[in-house]
Amino acid sequence: MNTVIDAFGLVATPALPLLMILLWCVPGFRPRIACWTPWAALPALLLAFGGEAGAFARLDWMLFGTVLGLNELNRVFLAFTAMLWLAAGFYARGYMAGDGRGESFRLLWLATMSGNFGLILALDVASFYASFALMTFAAYGLVIHARSAEALRAGRVYLVMAIGGEALVVTGLLLAAADTAAPLPMLAELPGAIAASARRDLIIACLFFGFGVKAGVALLHMWLPLAHPVAPIPASAVLSGAMIKAGLFGWLNTLPLGVATLPSWSVAIMITGLIGAFGGALIGVHQRTPKTVLAYSSISQMGLITVGVGAGLQVPALWPLLAPAVALYALHHALAKGALFLGVGIARHSGGHIGRRWLWIALALPGLSLSGLMSSGIAAKLTLKQALAAAGMPGWWNHLPWLMGLAAIGTTALVLRYLWLLRGQDQGDRASRSVWLGWAMLLVAGSLSAFALPAIGLEEKWIASAAELVDLAWPVLIGLALADFARRRLRSWPIAAGDVLEWFDGAVRLVAHSLRRLPGSARRVRLPVPPSKHDLRHLAGHRANGTEAERFWRRESALVFVAVLVAVLLAGFAFGS
Amino acid sequence: MDWHAWLPLMVVGTSLAASVGIFLLKEERHALRSGFNLAAAAIKLGLVAWMAVGVLDEVHFETRYTVVEGVSFILRADALGIMFAGLSSVLWLFTTIYAIGYLENAPNRSRFFGFFSLCVASTVGIALAGNLFTFFLFYELLTLSTYPLVVHRGTDKALRAGRVYLAYTLCGGAVLLLGVAGLHALAGDVEFAAGAGLRTLDPALHPALTILFVLLIAGLGVKAALVPLHSWLPIAMVAPAPVSALLHAVAVVKAGAFGIVRVVYDVYGIEFAWSLGLLDPLALVACATILYGSIRALAQTDLKRRLAFSTVSQVSYVVLGTALFGPVGTAGGLVHLLHQGLMKITLFFCAGNYAETLGVHRIDELDGVGSRMPATSVAFTIGAFGMIGIPPLAGFVTKWYLGIGALQAGMSWVIGVLVASSVLNAAYFLPILHRIWFRAQRAPWPDEQFRMHRDTHPWLLVPTLATAALSVGAGLLAGMPYSPLYWAEVVVLREYLP
Repeated sequence: MNTVIDAFGLVATPALPLLMILLWCVPGFRPRIACWTPWAALPALLLAFGGEAGAFARLDWMLFGTVLGLNELNRVFLAFTAMLWLAAGFYARGYMAGDGRGESFRLLWLATMSGNFGLILALDVASFYASFALMTFAAYGLVIHARSAEALRAGRVYLVMAIGGEALVVTGLLLAAADTAAPLPMLAELPGAIAASARRDLIIACLFFGFGVKAGVALLHMWLPLAHPVAPIPASAVLSGAMIKAGLFGWLNTLPLGVATLPSWSVAIMITGLIGAFGGALIGVHQRTPKTVLAYSSISQMGLITVGVGAGLQVPALWPLLAPAVALYALHHALAKGALFLGVGIARHSGGHIGRRWLWIALALPGLSLSGLMSSGIAAKLTLKQALAAAGMPGWWNHLPWLMGLAAIGTTALVLRYLWLLRGQDQGDRASRSVWLGWAMLLVAGSLSAFALPAIGLEEKWIASAAELVDLAWPVLIGLALADFARRRLRSWPIAAGDVLEWFDGAVRLVAHSLRRLPGSARRVRLPVPPSKHDLRHLAGHRANGTEAERFWRRESALVFVAVLVAVLLAGFAFGS
Repeated sequence: MDWHAWLPLMVVGTSLAASVGIFLLKEERHALRSGFNLAAAAIKLGLVAWMAVGVLDEVHFETRYTVVEGVSFILRADALGIMFAGLSSVLWLFTTIYAIGYLENAPNRSRFFGFFSLCVASTVGIALAGNLFTFFLFYELLTLSTYPLVVHRGTDKALRAGRVYLAYTLCGGAVLLLGVAGLHALAGDVEFAAGAGLRTLDPALHPALTILFVLLIAGLGVKAALVPLHSWLPIAMVAPAPVSALLHAVAVVKAGAFGIVRVVYDVYGIEFAWSLGLLDPLALVACATILYGSIRALAQTDLKRRLAFSTVSQVSYVVLGTALFGPVGTAGGLVHLLHQGLMKITLFFCAGNYAETLGVHRIDELDGVGSRMPATSVAFTIGAFGMIGIPPLAGFVTKWYLGIGALQAGMSWVIGVLVASSVLNAAYFLPILHRIWFRAQRAPWPDEQFRMHRDTHPWLLVPTLATAALSVGAGLLAGMPYSPLYWAEVVVLREYLP
């Protein structure tokens, strides 16, 4: 009987949101769908806590034999993802009430949710990739919901980077699948196939960077600080809490973790992770809106998780220890970051409570967890540190746990920066009850998550000794001291959100403008200049000759064609030979 | 009487009879003509389905008539032919329904539907042709029967497009004839036979066979719109939407691609073609076409022209799959014969719906069309995502199989082409989807019709949704019996394990 219920839950989890979209097409159901939308995440939550690891459902008729299943790893991901979608759903129901594009928001919300659940439960490549794509494309609509110039730009950056990521992912999956028996294999066959493949390094590069776009890996992170602040608050919460973890989930399922020892990849991935962890914090503290600070904090936290993944390629034997640590850290970050994002809306619409001490304590609680001094934060930090210490990394990498402590200083500073910025956000009105409910759900979930860990197959972990307490507390104390010093003495630098991208845009614009100024080149060289924010506001006007891009392609199609062809051939022969 | 000998002829005959009957009917007998036309389409679909079941059971359907000694007229149903015949019968039915709605109150409908049926008759003839001679016969009949459809509107632009179309296709036909005649001189009456081929010929003839292969592919490549022979296709866009739909999905472009498939598999035999070293250049031409079509599509401001360049690109997937030596690649190419048809006809139906309902032709006029015509726009979205190759839609199956096939054939550079093409497809389809769904309507629609309908006229909407549903089904149910992929695998099995 249990297996039947589990199988039903496995199918219902991704299917229910889609079913609601279908029901929405009947006009009479629309008000009800608006009311039910948050509940669409409920089967996922029930499944995460009630389902048995090892349960699976086969849909042989679908694609190439879709298999959905629950195992130790994806149960954790499902649990926090479902919690986040559920709480943010209630929050959204209140927050988006009266929004002119509320209907479109709900549909995209449901579609994104379905994709997110689907990719977690999928055990075969085809349905995993299908869900991943559904989530990616539907989330675009959530990012540009406001339709402001900033939102449209963020949406475009998101989409361009996401498509680049998808292209890399599909290349990696194709190359990996070519070495398996069936054209479309099970996900579980991939790590082994990749480890044995002649094109191992190429495949790992494709998958690491492809999923890395989602996971906000350093230098592929630019969409994140642009997209998270412009999306409506509940959408930012799921983007930063749940969807960013899809990239991580992709790594955990495809990279040959625990199968192969790849020291150079391990070092490269760990360095990328550390760059993200420290760079995110350093840039983040200079940001001037709370949601941008949180976005950079996500980059920083994902950097730490990336270090854990990298360590897994160094010492395969320890992967069984590292995998739960990484998953736990993902859970911890998702719940805390989600609550922090939702807190922005609470501070904005607190209805006069902004001066109250209890509200500030409540807003700061998830931050305390993120810094590692509360609930799941304790468990996540300690588990990951101890797993890394146990790994016995060679040479310099021995100091990783200490580096993690250093990164926690940044985490604390970011949380304080966020709280500092929240002060000026109050808009005087009061958010509806549903908004408070959603926020409270995540607060409670975050605070009590440490007790719920055994229910989803993770180990409980509390501070057991004075040494551990010191280990967790020193970064927070230094962070507090630094923040206090900075508040008195330092001013933030104007680093625009999207950092590298802004610099790159600026550089291209500079080159293009100087090329135009060269004598004689004015008519011949007409490079497409990336539009500045100012230009974008004027781009909405009607153009008889098509968009700038269309005109560019018309002029230069032959050139581009030859260039692409040559590039493809060169690349092909390079890795074909 | 032996039914098996007559069925192929009857299938071609149904469309032919419909054509003759329609020509005989008076212009104003609209209801009777529509009924007659739909009945013929339904009967044909039934007959093809009957043959399809038979072919799976290895029943031999063949109509044979010796014209002169050494030249036979052969219609035969094999797995590959049934694939194409099935596609053309299914889409004929939907396109007929669509055309009846589209041409409501338009002049010269009798002429239109007459040639329309003739065009479908030739397509089925091409599908079931059992040797090069029969193939060539129907191939030329197709050229002649589509010309009146292209110039149907009778405007200057249409007539010019018709001239370009005729110039290209007749020259292509002449080159093809040269190839067919040359092959006849070398090897006699060349019947299509899976796995067999010309390999028994004297090795001294191999250079001649290579030249003939180039001639055949060049002749067929005109209709298949291989670069640099593709220029007629975007110009022929002036034709009415159902014609463009049929032209791009089944009839003309697909006939060329199907011909290339026949030449490689059933005239030369894939192993022989491979051993002559003919497949690599063919793959190169196909890849160049794939990329070129996509890049040109980016620059188009007219919706139908963008779709036309997209066809240039997508049809070459079939050719690419043909050029990949190995069962998975072959399956990928063959299955795209059907997948591209389903997806592209959906997109053209949608373009027609936008034009007929709102007077929208240009891409930048599409802003906010999603809320006025949601059902059509959903169909367009399905078609577009299918073309990009997003699972679970039909295009994904193709791309995945071609990718795996390329790796098995040792042509890993093809992966680069496939991924680049997907990205380019995204680059020219996603901005359209952004306009449709996420922008607000900017100006009044240029020419709004059917105000009483929520979306558009049911005659236009139903076929659009049906083909969109088939595009989803072809991908989502790819593993089921009778799916396009299943048929492709049957063909592959019979090709590689004769």
